Amino acid sequence: MGTGPPVKTSEEKAKRKLSLPFLAPVHSLLAGWVGLTLWLLLLLLLALYPYTGVSSVALFVGSQIFVLVTLASNWNLIGGMTGYVDFGHAVFFGIGAYIMGILVTGSPLLISPEWGFWQALPASGVAAALFALLIGLPTLRLKGPYFSIAMLGTLVAMREIARVLRPFTGGGVGLNLPPLLNRLGDYYLMLAVMGLVVSIIWWIQRSQFGQSLIAIREDEIGAEMRGINTTLHKIVAFMIAAFFTGIVGGFWAWQNTYIDPDVVFVEARTVEMVMMSMLGGLGTVWGPPLGAVVIYFLQDLLWGSLFGVHLVALGVLLVVIVLFMPEGILGTLGDRSSTSLGRLLSRVGRSK
Amino acid sequence: MDQLLQALVSGLLLGGFYAVMVLGFSVIWGVMGVINLAHGEFLMIGAYMAWGLFRLFGMDPFASLVLILPLMFLVGYLLQIVLINRIVERPHLMTLLVTFGVSIALANLFKILFDADPRNVAVAYNGSVQLAGVTFPIVKTIIFGAALVIMVCLHLFLQRSRLGKSIRAAAQNKTAARIVGVDINRVYAITAGICIALTAAAGAMLSPTQAIFPFMGPPFTLKAVTITALGGLGRIPGALMGGMVLGITEIFVSTYVAGIGTNLGVATSFVLLVLILIVRPQGIMGGLRPIDAEAE
Amino acid sequence: MASDQQPLLEGHTVSKYFGGLAAVNNVDFAIYPGEIVGLIGPNGSGKTTLFDCLSRLQNIDSGKVFFKGRDVTRARPYQVARMGLTRTFQSVRVYRKMTVHRNMLISHQWRDTSILSMLQPSRASTAQRAYQLLDFLQIRHLADEEAGHLSGGQRRLLEIGMALMPDPDILLLDEATSGVNPTLIETIKDRIRTLNEQGKTFLLIEHNINFIADLCSRVYVLNYGEKLAEGTPQKILQNEAVIDAYFGA
Repeated sequence: MGTGPPVKTSEEKAKRKLSLPFLAPVHSLLAGWVGLTLWLLLLLLLALYPYTGVSSVALFVGSQIFVLVTLASNWNLIGGMTGYVDFGHAVFFGIGAYIMGILVTGSPLLISPEWGFWQALPASGVAAALFALLIGLPTLRLKGPYFSIAMLGTLVAMREIARVLRPFTGGGVGLNLPPLLNRLGDYYLMLAVMGLVVSIIWWIQRSQFGQSLIAIREDEIGAEMRGINTTLHKIVAFMIAAFFTGIVGGFWAWQNTYIDPDVVFVEARTVEMVMMSMLGGLGTVWGPPLGAVVIYFLQDLLWGSLFGVHLVALGVLLVVIVLFMPEGILGTLGDRSSTSLGRLLSRVGRSK
Repeated sequence: MDQLLQALVSGLLLGGFYAVMVLGFSVIWGVMGVINLAHGEFLMIGAYMAWGLFRLFGMDPFASLVLILPLMFLVGYLLQIVLINRIVERPHLMTLLVTFGVSIALANLFKILFDADPRNVAVAYNGSVQLAGVTFPIVKTIIFGAALVIMVCLHLFLQRSRLGKSIRAAAQNKTAARIVGVDINRVYAITAGICIALTAAAGAMLSPTQAIFPFMGPPFTLKAVTITALGGLGRIPGALMGGMVLGITEIFVSTYVAGIGTNLGVATSFVLLVLILIVRPQGIMGGLRPIDAEAE
Repeated sequence: MASDQQPLLEGHTVSKYFGGLAAVNNVDFAIYPGEIVGLIGPNGSGKTTLFDCLSRLQNIDSGKVFFKGRDVTRARPYQVARMGLTRTFQSVRVYRKMTVHRNMLISHQWRDTSILSMLQPSRASTAQRAYQLLDFLQIRHLADEEAGHLSGGQRRLLEIGMALMPDPDILLLDEATSGVNPTLIETIKDRIRTLNEQGKTFLLIEHNINFIADLCSRVYVLNYGEKLAEGTPQKILQNEAVIDAYFGA
């Protein structure tokens, strides 16, 4: 509830101990134009990076990190800002990947001539956004854990459906995309998508739209009663998040040149998004990108060589973060826009 | 007509399995308020154990329950003490995240240990008998029988035994149970032990009927949620009813949706789940805590 | 009030059931522009449920509600809010992690619903209006505090401010004085009176009988979901049925 006696949970007490309030002005500065300026500067530096004569491996690593940052920021829009913890967000990734696969290979639908990458990429995003509209209308009416579970159900069900719709998706065999290696192009494309997405999140966060999303997160009934069309806001946020996730999925399919239901509709990718956002700080602009970078290098450092182990570690890490670091990095550093996971959770689960 | 009767019988047999599969999930949710997203993974572990015992010692999957039940009871007991007791009484979403993490970790751990190839337990009696024009697969019929026995035992245990009464007391009113001297943490650990053991047993019994692979779990978790929404929390008759409804629905979809229906189990149960939750957020039989209920 | 006037908010045989239980049963009422109307009754008599029905947080099972002559029986909460019906809650709903000023802005967002303005931060004029209202409610000095740090009474004032932000025609106040210290009650009373003089209509759920007697021109009494009586506060307080319901066996 909005009020009642202020019950302080142990998490909140822990936060008080850890938080560094003197950093608050820094955070509000970063949420404003200064933050965007620094971000654009960083983008510029990253755009110049390939001119320093780096290897194609470095470019590949770069594009991978940009993918993760984009995914984390997108998830944060619906999970962190709007407070709808989406356990099935990878479904949009999968749909984007499949739309890309179907359109550029053309064969399953006998599309002729096949679409080029540049036509198929926006289509991936649009398809994912439309799917979000379709699935969001029922599921966004569910609250808290039920939304999470329903989205997880969407993901698993779509994996099943992709396997069954053999004529379109190639079933369990999957689809092979034409391999066209262009590391530099990939790098710049994902840099652009990442730059756009994070800038959009920055913009949303200071707009009335974003403030309404946060109001929905904090108290949906209150927001509705204060004249905010909560359904519309949730759907739009969901569709934006799905659109860019679909784009990333399409890009990933192109870069990976092979997709099947088990590699694109996979829970681990959702866990990745959830974790990167949480680690950085839910509901902040810069937290999820930070979390994504940290996770990437952590994976690289700790278990990069052992295939498969990183997914086990991913699960364990999720448990550890939830139990010991519910505020995320930025939240621990006293960013007020960061919603503590614990608080978000206790709000949605308060009737327990 | 025959097709209808056959679908009905197959649905009931499947429903019996679902009912015993969901028990562990539903009781943990009902007693501790923990939605265990790693449910399917424990089922997967049970199936792998049955497979291992079958391969190494030629042990029958149903006979191997004698080993699997106590072993997995121990696993559940320890898991509760180490991890779940930290998140009991916490918001649902927190338990969701933690158990989601556990599920990913377990599935991928098993992928490393046994790689992703599907395994089979080929028992000798994997045939079927005809009765009045209806086919009864032997294994599935045995599972059905075993499911009924397990449910009756669990019911008697919860209703009659002292420990069972403590568990029910803890489920209904934690504080009161504590006051009358129930050691909640111990009761929880025992509950978790029983539930995990039951889930693994369900997986072991399932092993002769389907391929075993590391990622077989999530569909069962989702079906467990659907059945719980259908039948209510922690209630054995409810689990039976919910299991039957889902089993019959699923078989009907696979019988009457031409060509592709067979593999749409999760999609079916997903649609069912979302419909239920939208129409009746408290579940068909009630008892799911309506999350958006406003305390006044 | 003049009965030839069109009611601002009007209900015909409004009913709401929970299970088999009637929380609100066949209640008729009409509130005219410029009135301050009280809604009283023992605990559990259905006052808050009626509020929830009017502000559309609860579905109305039977009957009709009209606001400004339009049927809003099936409207969404945000729609009645935009038409000019705002409310406060028995257990205050403010955004505890946001500053007081931010809270005020939230309640004004929908005023510019064009996509372009949704993409902008709140306007300077809106921010100014928020400060003026905070001034009017005497909590201007708290504008940059987190709402969670406010006292119970200050939160009630803030919530009234939030309800005022969109310049509504009618305010539904649910126990605006509970948990509020006597000085602040006087402030609230005074502000309601001032706002009423400026043309705002009020419907108040209240347990504080003096508050009702001082402010209201008419009172409805609910008991077990049914309308027990209506009339001026003086008449109501001498009504035997009402006294029975409150103090009787």
